[in-house]
Amino acid sequence: MNISFHINGKPQSVEIADENTPLLWVVRDILDLKGTKFGCGKAACGACTLHVDGEAIRSCSYAVKFAEGKQITTIEGLGNEQNPHPVQQAWIEEIVPQCGYCQPGFMMATAAMLDKIPNPTDEDIDNNIINVCRCATYYRMRKAIHRAAEISAKSKSSIETQTTSS
Amino acid sequence: MSKKRISRRKFLVSGGLGTLGVLAVGTYLFRNPIRRGIAGAIDTGETPYMGNTSSPIIWFEVTSENEIVLHSPKVEMGQGTFTSLAQMAADELEVSMEQMKVIHATSASGNMDGFATGGSTSVSALWVPLRELAATMREMIKKEAASKLSVLPTEVSVNNGVVLAAGKTMTYAEAVANVTEWDVPDTPELKEIKDYKYIGKPIARVDLNDKVFGAPIFGMDATMPDMLYGSVVRSSAIGAKYKDAKISKAEGMPGVVKIIKEPDFVGVVAHSLIQAENAKNAIDVQWEVERNWQTADIEAMIEVGKGEPFIIQKEGDAEDILNSEEGVVTSEYKSPIGAHAQLEPNGALAYVADDKATIIMSTQVVKISRDEIADRLGLDKDQVNMVPTFLGGGFGRRLHTPNAIQAAVMSKAVGKPVKCFFTRKEEFQNDTFRPPTHHVLKAKLTQDGMIEAMEHNVSSGDVAFGSPMVPSIAAPILGADLGAWRGGMIQYGAIPNYRTISWRVTLPFATSWWRSLGLLANTFAIESFMDELAISAKKNPAEFRLAQIQDNDRGFRLKEVIKAVVEKSGYKDEVVDGRAMGFAVSTDANTPCAQVVEVSIKNKEIKVHKVTCAMDPGIAVNPDQVRAQCEGAIIMGMSASMFEKMDVEDGQLTPTIYGPYQMALMKNAPKEIDVVLLQNDDKPGAVGEPPLGPIGAAVANAVFRLTGQRLRSMPLKLS
Amino acid sequence: MMKKSLVQYIIPVFLITGIVFAANYSNDKDSGYNSSGTNETVAHENYNTMMDVLMSPRCINCHPNDHTPKQGDDGHPHYFGMSRGKDNVGYEATKCATCHQTENNDYSGVPGAPEWSLAPTQMLWEGLTRKEIAESMMDPERNGGRTPEETMHHLTEHELVLWAWNPGVRADGTPREKPPVSLEEYKKAVKEWIENGAIIPED
Repeated sequence: MNISFHINGKPQSVEIADENTPLLWVVRDILDLKGTKFGCGKAACGACTLHVDGEAIRSCSYAVKFAEGKQITTIEGLGNEQNPHPVQQAWIEEIVPQCGYCQPGFMMATAAMLDKIPNPTDEDIDNNIINVCRCATYYRMRKAIHRAAEISAKSKSSIETQTTSS
Repeated sequence: MSKKRISRRKFLVSGGLGTLGVLAVGTYLFRNPIRRGIAGAIDTGETPYMGNTSSPIIWFEVTSENEIVLHSPKVEMGQGTFTSLAQMAADELEVSMEQMKVIHATSASGNMDGFATGGSTSVSALWVPLRELAATMREMIKKEAASKLSVLPTEVSVNNGVVLAAGKTMTYAEAVANVTEWDVPDTPELKEIKDYKYIGKPIARVDLNDKVFGAPIFGMDATMPDMLYGSVVRSSAIGAKYKDAKISKAEGMPGVVKIIKEPDFVGVVAHSLIQAENAKNAIDVQWEVERNWQTADIEAMIEVGKGEPFIIQKEGDAEDILNSEEGVVTSEYKSPIGAHAQLEPNGALAYVADDKATIIMSTQVVKISRDEIADRLGLDKDQVNMVPTFLGGGFGRRLHTPNAIQAAVMSKAVGKPVKCFFTRKEEFQNDTFRPPTHHVLKAKLTQDGMIEAMEHNVSSGDVAFGSPMVPSIAAPILGADLGAWRGGMIQYGAIPNYRTISWRVTLPFATSWWRSLGLLANTFAIESFMDELAISAKKNPAEFRLAQIQDNDRGFRLKEVIKAVVEKSGYKDEVVDGRAMGFAVSTDANTPCAQVVEVSIKNKEIKVHKVTCAMDPGIAVNPDQVRAQCEGAIIMGMSASMFEKMDVEDGQLTPTIYGPYQMALMKNAPKEIDVVLLQNDDKPGAVGEPPLGPIGAAVANAVFRLTGQRLRSMPLKLS
Repeated sequence: MMKKSLVQYIIPVFLITGIVFAANYSNDKDSGYNSSGTNETVAHENYNTMMDVLMSPRCINCHPNDHTPKQGDDGHPHYFGMSRGKDNVGYEATKCATCHQTENNDYSGVPGAPEWSLAPTQMLWEGLTRKEIAESMMDPERNGGRTPEETMHHLTEHELVLWAWNPGVRADGTPREKPPVSLEEYKKAVKEWIENGAIIPED
């Protein structure tokens, strides 16, 4: 069957026999976007986290049939070198990644959290950021999350300043 | 005095994309005595680079964009090796960090590691060789440029990949263009450390952008045209032997290309991963299982007194002194089976056709992986090209990769590339675990609270033995399993009488290298015991340690980290406002590391608020990455000490998923980690593993102050 | 003698006692229910059938006695610290719906049904007796303002309730335990119990 959605802003259509195929494998193996990772396939580790209509979703546990008509964002769509997302910018400033495998999932989860909670407390972070990092880069991640909130706030206020001053 | 460590070789001009010149060296004087190398790595950190190279050997390429590509024989698994090696190379080559690119050396490049990436040896082993190679190449380029510019070599200077002479410039790329034969000069003197631009600076990781923007750099991300997906049937039971399989139902399932039945495994190749796994689940396999193992069986095997004993350390006459019953303190400690649980599962993308094989995979043992595959396929070794990728976690898990053989066999059977990875359950149950341990420590104190005699007995499953890196013939030569007693030796050299005895047990499931090997469990036992002794001697735990350390270089370095951590943390052996501080220190390879933790307890939950860490790795090539390794290792050590445990239930290793295999998460990570780096050695030493040592005991020691409960068994849980 | 006179009264005494007992029983719950031994047993059977289901892990796990959903037949706390959050649907960004969809996922072993979430705090059932749970269920202050008829519909038609009979597979691929009776038996028991006055016996 045919399933159509938008991914990273572009319309996409896949032809697939098993409509229950996890979105993770459609993204990785059919659409060749490798940034979203497989860690466990059981929604336990969070390495497969992406956004569906702005919400954090663990794509290994999300049948592709549910993606019909939705807006999907993966790490590749969150930002790029020319135009990084504040989370990515903060991740670079704090030099967070070690092996790097779990990092896209964490960044997607963080971006979703900052969307809902622009200025998260440490408790908000503890509650919402529950992915697994074996290299245990959590210490720098926490710093980067607070930094990302700062970067977001600054850019929002500068946009507002620009808007009001023009 | 002239010295030539690099033999004369032709300088190859490769026709590859944008590549103008390649530094191919013959035999750098690599010493390759495996036993000496490994033993050195474990104890003193003196590991020579064990290059196991074939010609040609590519180390550096100069591209037409005037970039230098370093082919690294060491893999990047998060420990920051690529960045440190790039800094070392850039400093001697006189190029900027922006011009340096690092890639994994394929086996076809000839640049292969005879050892592995592990043991915290990458930077220390390549410290001299890599800089000498880079320096030599720089001189070769200068000489060639001088010739092209019609000046004397002495009139030439270099900066940021550009040669300058008499008002003229020439890029390195221009200098090496069209040259096919080179004179290899005497190895130049290396620069003074103080003159380095990059070494010793907190340079941002060279792989940072790739990892932040989701570039497809891991083994699991590899693709090839016409790629198919493989899945291999695996038993859940320990010791299960494959007998036969009924494949008819699976054969007809959607997307199945072929079911491959080998004498030792059965696998499915299909058009998608899901199709391969569905078909695999439809295969009925007969396993032969001899015994239905339980945790209690394993615990009964790992007991001091069982297995083969080896005395690995002996000074004075501890045995006699401790044989008497008067005044002898005895304590026992335990640690459980530990899983690697790295996020990227093991697997490979293999393409075997026309008597050639290309294997793309995450591995810590490029050469061993290649040799095993060549062997199984009946190919010459140089017909198998290993293409290593960034690892989604190594930690010793990828020091043995038999699953890659299966991918290769399946590819050969279908004549197409086959990508085959473990499921998470298979990853857990086919792990090469950190073995469980049992420790018995005994000591006798003098009247004034000094240790008169001390003995450490440790029983452990194998770490080094049984891994392909240590040939089985090594076992009787080496005696005790060096991995198991890493960190197990008593580091307090002023104690007049001490003994360490290792009891070797072979378990029915695979046990092998887990980050820091025996250091985690051994330090937990020894440093908890030292704490108990300090308390009974009514001494400050840090002072107590200092008094037992010998006066030599090693002792000096150990004392300095203890003093540094005490000062930085404000360590006091007292409970203030419901918080206690715990102290512990260990020496791994040559790197001493001391930690102080601040702990409180709420509803029986142990909360670690802050960790102060003082470490002396010698020269920190990249101090930011050294800090990062400390931060990560501390939390990983907390995870293993406080949460993780594998069990054996009805013959199966369990659990097989994150969650039930409890690990440290964001909420468990200390909010403050202070790292102090000391430098009391003139070369870089081990970094990645040493910080794992002290954390478990430090936490247990703090918990004792708060509760009076001495936790002797990991994971540390209050009852 | 005395005996003869006493015997004369025995039968009337029993008759009177029986009538008084019956009268008292029917006054108990304004049900107009004509108590007889057989109907009472059936009512209790229906009640017990219904409560056996409602107290099974598939139901109790999302009616925890605190803010932590429970998992498995052993009712262990949901891994990774997942919790009720503000609206019974998890935390602001990491919600129930981050992993749980409107259907079970057989690949991941994550259960799913429409509106997957925790029951509201008024419906904390874990650890309560069946009488306490039943009372809570029939009390409009605690059951979302439902009449007995509405409660009956909820108990027999709500998708989250019905999920218990299609609970999917666990992470290891083995099927989850269903409630102890079939869906049909359960629905019948609920309907009859409510139609017959929703009598809640003592524990």
